Amino acid sequence: MGTFRSYGYVPLEPPTVELARSAAGLDERRVLRFLDRDGSLLALRPDITTAVARVVAQRYREARGALRLAYFTSVFRQEHSMRGSEREYDQAGVELIGPSDRVADAEVVALLADALRACGLATAEIDVGHASVLDGFLDEVAEVARDDARDRARAGDLVSLLEIVRAAGLAPARVGQLRDAFRHRGPLAPFAERRDQLPPRSASAVGELLELAELLEAAGVSLPVRYDLGLVAPLGYYTGITFQAIAPGLGSAIASGGRYDGLLARFGTDRAATGFGIAVPHLHQALVATGQVAIDDAPLVTLEGGTPSHTLRVAAALRGAGVSVAIGAVAESAGRPVVALRVIDGTRVERDGLVTPVADIAADLASVPDRREDRG
Amino acid sequence: MRGALRIALAQGVILPDTLKALAAVGLPVDGLTGHRRLLVRADGIEYVLARPQDVATYVAHGAAELGIVGRDVLLESDEDVIELVDLGYGVCRFVVAAPAGSLDRSLEAYQHLGSLEVATKYPRVAERHFQRRGIQVELIKLSGAVELAPQVGLSDWIVDLVSTGRTLRENGLEVVEEIATCSARLIANRVAYARERQRIAELADRLEAWAGARP
Repeated sequence: MGTFRSYGYVPLEPPTVELARSAAGLDERRVLRFLDRDGSLLALRPDITTAVARVVAQRYREARGALRLAYFTSVFRQEHSMRGSEREYDQAGVELIGPSDRVADAEVVALLADALRACGLATAEIDVGHASVLDGFLDEVAEVARDDARDRARAGDLVSLLEIVRAAGLAPARVGQLRDAFRHRGPLAPFAERRDQLPPRSASAVGELLELAELLEAAGVSLPVRYDLGLVAPLGYYTGITFQAIAPGLGSAIASGGRYDGLLARFGTDRAATGFGIAVPHLHQALVATGQVAIDDAPLVTLEGGTPSHTLRVAAALRGAGVSVAIGAVAESAGRPVVALRVIDGTRVERDGLVTPVADIAADLASVPDRREDRG
Repeated sequence: MRGALRIALAQGVILPDTLKALAAVGLPVDGLTGHRRLLVRADGIEYVLARPQDVATYVAHGAAELGIVGRDVLLESDEDVIELVDLGYGVCRFVVAAPAGSLDRSLEAYQHLGSLEVATKYPRVAERHFQRRGIQVELIKLSGAVELAPQVGLSDWIVDLVSTGRTLRENGLEVVEEIATCSARLIANRVAYARERQRIAELADRLEAWAGARP
């Protein structure tokens, strides 16, 4: 969250419970739903971006400037049982609402990289694509086939995607181009040269990616960026540049995001927007895979012995000096080193058999910098 | 990441063709037969031999970067993977079948009763199909010998996987409708497909060329 703040984002806590019908963009079987007492169907928010879009469309209807919002909160998805996935997990992310230019796209990509770096993840890569690469090709096929084709692409079924567009009248040369585009990941140069040969919307998508590449070069992104023309976001509301963060040792993306210019209009306020969400459990797994988990190593003092009033006085003195104190023994210290002290009186404690003034203990322990967990 | 590309291969009827395909595109497959080890290493490639249903699971979770498995398994498992290449072998079809000559009778019964009973080993495929068609059915999940169900009065229709259709005919059933044609697919984990794009795309190109050149 510290990194988000440094880019000027303000925290927002979107509502957890929403009306089931506003839970857009996701297979409704994956939404956790329940009935209210008056019979209306409610849902636990399955997607933060949609929830934030709704809040913004309602609360900031009159706002004209850029809104920079950050959140750290949970999302709920109905998963098939026994798939090793959780129904509730934390997600951290931002939404940048208002600007529709490439500078905004570059800002969120750079912010994602910085946030992951700040969490200690140096092995991730950022994959950047564009939702309209496919749209350009679909403009040239029969309209009835488009939804089906998009659906197959989102599901990752590239075999059926090519079959559908071929059957729906896409020229063989175009089918070949689409196939090559979906296999391309890396520098944009080969596609930049042949850009005029692509369908118009695909060509302008590549154009936007080239602009973005230039900006990211200038911004000096803290993680490697790769351009992936086959990147299709699983959620349907993306309209422009999309991206995801991936890391070794992990089967799914750590974070994903992109431009979703049409989503706020669905809630009555037509504004451009982009953003991303980090799946916190995946980030943790990726950190574990690198073997360097950021743990809180500030010591935790436990106080025993002493009279209740002496113990409380010592505890207050130590806490006042910035030392963490628990009264009595602790069963769980979350990996922090525990320093056990025996209280003699209100100003002295016994540590490792030595009677020491509380002030000395405070000075000693508080000198260990208190590295609080910075969540993003 | 492991340096080696790990490929999960579905055991069973398609395995011999899978080995042929891999050998044809120059991958080492000698170590894969003649013993019962399930994890086999061979220059830069690591093979996992698994039950077809599990191949999709391994790949979806990233335990293997690539997999070769029938599309029938993918349709029923609903795992999130990238389907890259149609390898062309292991062809079979998901069909709706009914006792020969009974179609009119069962449709009439449907009008009266509002629902048909359908026995199947593939409930997800069957459910999706009838939902799309707007036909209300009661699904009965069986573990095998689904052809038997209409004969013993367990169900009106069945949804089953057929290759030649001989078993259907011998049990007095006929195809009412085809749901999907399936064959073996090269699949990839989403993240692996991004991270290892060059190696995977190259292999996909070679397999696609091999599949295209087959009669």
